[in-house]
Amino acid sequence: MNMFSSCMITALVILTLPIITSSTKLYKNKLYPYYVKTATSYAFMISMIPTMMFIYSGQETIISNWHWMTIQTMKLSMSFKLDYFSMIFVPVALFVTWSIMEFSMWYMHSDPYINRFFKYLLLFLITMMVLVTANNMFQLFIGWEGVGIMSFLLIGWWYGRTDANTAALQAVLYNRIGDVGFIMAMAWFLLNLNTWDLQQIFITTNDNFNLPLLGLLLAATGKSAQFGLHPWLPSAMEGPTPVSALLHSSTMVVAGVFLLIRFHPLMEHNQTIQTLTLCLGAITTLLTAICALTQNDIKKIVAFSTSSQLGLMMVTIGINQPYLAFLHICTHAFFKAMLFMCSGSIIHSLNDEQDIRKMGGLFKVLPFTTTSLIIGSLALTGMPFLTGFYSKDLIIESANTSNTNAWALLITLVATSLTAAYSTRIMFFALLGQPRFSPMILINENNPLLINSIKRLLIGSVFAGYIISHSITPTTIPQMTMPHYLKMTALAVTILGFILALELNLTTQGLKFNYPSNYFKFSSLLGYYPTIMHRLTPKTSLTISQKSASMLLDSIWLENILPKSISYFQMKSSTLVSNQKGLIKLYFLSFMLTMILSLLILNYHG
Amino acid sequence: MSMVYINIFLAFILSLMGMLVYRSHLMSSLLCLEGMMLSLFVMMSVTILNNHLTLASMMPIVLLVFAACEAALGLSLLVMVSNTYGTDYVQNLNLLQC
Repeated sequence: MNMFSSCMITALVILTLPIITSSTKLYKNKLYPYYVKTATSYAFMISMIPTMMFIYSGQETIISNWHWMTIQTMKLSMSFKLDYFSMIFVPVALFVTWSIMEFSMWYMHSDPYINRFFKYLLLFLITMMVLVTANNMFQLFIGWEGVGIMSFLLIGWWYGRTDANTAALQAVLYNRIGDVGFIMAMAWFLLNLNTWDLQQIFITTNDNFNLPLLGLLLAATGKSAQFGLHPWLPSAMEGPTPVSALLHSSTMVVAGVFLLIRFHPLMEHNQTIQTLTLCLGAITTLLTAICALTQNDIKKIVAFSTSSQLGLMMVTIGINQPYLAFLHICTHAFFKAMLFMCSGSIIHSLNDEQDIRKMGGLFKVLPFTTTSLIIGSLALTGMPFLTGFYSKDLIIESANTSNTNAWALLITLVATSLTAAYSTRIMFFALLGQPRFSPMILINENNPLLINSIKRLLIGSVFAGYIISHSITPTTIPQMTMPHYLKMTALAVTILGFILALELNLTTQGLKFNYPSNYFKFSSLLGYYPTIMHRLTPKTSLTISQKSASMLLDSIWLENILPKSISYFQMKSSTLVSNQKGLIKLYFLSFMLTMILSLLILNYHG
Repeated sequence: MSMVYINIFLAFILSLMGMLVYRSHLMSSLLCLEGMMLSLFVMMSVTILNNHLTLASMMPIVLLVFAACEAALGLSLLVMVSNTYGTDYVQNLNLLQC
């Protein structure tokens, strides 16, 4: 009997304490953000204990503590599944959230509602924990909806701004479309397997899991911003930078991928769904990488980068490597959160300037931020032996050596080189060269809150890949032998992307900007997808409903079918068939002449 | 045939000629149409009364009803033409647009 379950429950309860005390005087205190941050750091440290136990002995636990209700033959209870996935994800998420909370103490310093901001962040973290530790689909759905609602509240934090409200609404609507898929999967499991518990789902054999897996794929498309339901993620950059760092890079958007990873025993044997996932992920990663090339807002570029990496995770699931996808989730959290925090530091230092065309020459002014931005970008592109290398390079190698769709593979390689291209673009425009911002700004990054938080994530970005990948239990055997050109593929395309982007940026620096070409317009308008979908579809629905309500019943059936059609028909046919010319006297005279002639001829015939 | 029938038949033929041959006014042909109706009515009544065709006694009444309808129709057409042109000269009826 060890302290595995006790430590985990303690960690989760510590997180809820600041929420429970939010009705007391503690909430009005100026030190409330500090309390929240400390609570998160304590929860992180306590949750490392069960993780160490898991790494050492491989112990997995399922905690099932409260029987809620039984609906005829189905039992619903509150149960936590502490297995490989949740045990490794919880410390990573808590570590990243701890750093982000410390960062937002600096970033949102002048906000009068900072206490409420921290409460929302903490609520989000709690629902995310509920999501990853859920053992049945109902609890997962509670966490799923919870992160969706907190995302809405946090994106629309500055609700006086129209764009923020639109973006929050967009996030909720796109997530809702994905939820339909989730509910369909839940309904199928309820009807066919009579359960919502993951254990029972995995041990029952069934021929065809196509329908629920399609539902889960739709849910992942909505939550993880895959192609078709992706426009909400770039729009979600209207929220404050800590929100972007936490929700839309490390934690919430990986919930969709996490769901598919949880259901990997079902997906292993279903080739159709794997191919669908592969193609969907490949399209997403390429399209968002193309869109990231011509954006001018630094947060939008990082958001598209997130979307591209999510597509890469889907590709990994599509080649039947769920553990690699999970590893990429954990390593991606570190450097993506750090990239967002660095861009937040740049934005705040330049007096809320987000356009990279108005930045420049920050290399000398913000040395620490510059360093972490460069290291984060290198980790993102998969520089050997930084964090991203351990997951991304393995993914590319597995994709190269597996029997899979060659087109999807090619697209993923192109997207990898584009990753290097837009990372170079960020670094070139924001950090190098001569300053393009107003010289009246005092730039100071010397705040310990900022420095410490970025420093922690920096150490994580450099070492976490090594530490995690050498501590976990071996799962699927990675491909050990391959031809050397396949081994070097990822490195080669990345270096190619770097060199090309650097050369292009340097060459075109002083040139005049002509009319945008078609490719530029395609890229900077996000592939025309939002333009078409946000206007055409609602307009069509509204037009159809208006036509059927007013035209169909009133105008057509009551007015047009009998009365007006008869009169119209008569008028048209009378003009058609009348070929007389109105020479009435002539007609009468000829009639009379014919009658007289006939009388005469018939009389004198005999 | 007896003299009455020939008389009335002649009246009918005269009205027919009058309707088919007219110079300028549409009204004159309508008047001759009424004359035709009148002579037909008289001929029908005399025939039925002379030959005691009792069951056919409603025929003149029916003829009168239809004559009234048709007179109304003709007059309305005349009024329409007269509304457009001010007179009922027949040479005005050369435009066939409805």
